[in-house]
Amino acid sequence: MGFIGDTVESIRSIQIRQVLAQIISLGMIVTSALIIWKGLMVATGSESPVVVVLSGSMEPGFKRGDILFLHMSKDPIRTGEIVVFNIDGREIPIVHRVIKVHEREESAEVDILTKGDNNFGDDRLLYAHGQLWLHQHHIMGRAVGFLPYVGWVTIIMTEKPFIKYLLIGALGLLVITSKE
Amino acid sequence: MASDGAAATPAKASPKKANLLDPHSIKHLLDETISDVVKSKGYAEDTRLGNWKLAIGAAVIAIALLAQFYPKKFPQNREFLLGCIALYVVLNVVLLILSYTKEKDAIMFTHPPAGSFNSTGLVISSKLPRFSDMYTITIASADPQSISANKPVHFTKSVTKWFTKEGVLVEGLFWKDVERLIDDYNTERKGK
Repeated sequence: MGFIGDTVESIRSIQIRQVLAQIISLGMIVTSALIIWKGLMVATGSESPVVVVLSGSMEPGFKRGDILFLHMSKDPIRTGEIVVFNIDGREIPIVHRVIKVHEREESAEVDILTKGDNNFGDDRLLYAHGQLWLHQHHIMGRAVGFLPYVGWVTIIMTEKPFIKYLLIGALGLLVITSKE
Repeated sequence: MASDGAAATPAKASPKKANLLDPHSIKHLLDETISDVVKSKGYAEDTRLGNWKLAIGAAVIAIALLAQFYPKKFPQNREFLLGCIALYVVLNVVLLILSYTKEKDAIMFTHPPAGSFNSTGLVISSKLPRFSDMYTITIASADPQSISANKPVHFTKSVTKWFTKEGVLVEGLFWKDVERLIDDYNTERKGK
């Protein structure tokens, strides 16, 4: 009987409002990260304001693990600019340099050819089957700055998923066990 | 003296314990105990401010999730995102203002005791500065403008008075101190 009383007492002592407040503050921390990302999207005009370089195709300028900051504006694309573009059927955007631009006088359309600095040939092999040129709607942004080495965390977490879950689990435990 | 202490302290199944190396733990335990004392004196807790903060926090989370899962791709949803971001910032500012103007150091708000002529509840605040052992408790009226509001009363003591070496809270001593403070506050009304 004493044991049952103790159990009921301990259950009653859990303060629902306190737990709810803790859950909401945790949610606000997570959602602040989401909103900051959305704010970056709106400020830079690009769908992906920050990207990680995943391959060595732009060496020696950009190496694997660098972080690129992008910006998108109305200015026309020019030869020599480093752009990030999406290919239909590919999940990951590609960061390469523009080597040819064709503009049509009667319309606003542009034809763009890109190449990785460290690659032997142009990017036609990377484009969708049968596609020879990029167009304005493929371009997600142009590179305006970079930060070396910072992106390695992302690469490691992508390639070794168990490290990612380990990290998330550890952070979750930290938040849950801390008080006030 | 022993019987007086026994009368002041309700029987507890287990003693309350705090990590003496963690000031937050100490303050948290003392704040909790103050809530118990105040409730035992007949004051019911006023959770309106806490409810408002919970509601605003939930609204903030809802806005962020709405911005995240809005069924349109960027840049079609640019105006919508701008609206969500602005609303998010505004609600967070409101939350901050609530904390700084209404709550400050307050750990508890109460309603007036049942059957009392007093029309305002209490605001109990506490402060334990960093790297200090001096703990301050303040009791004030929830509505300073009210005709039945009394002058705030407070006391400051070292937390070493209430804890044993192992970190167990000596609840009898602490209850006595807090109850005396509440009585001081109520006595001022009679004097007035």
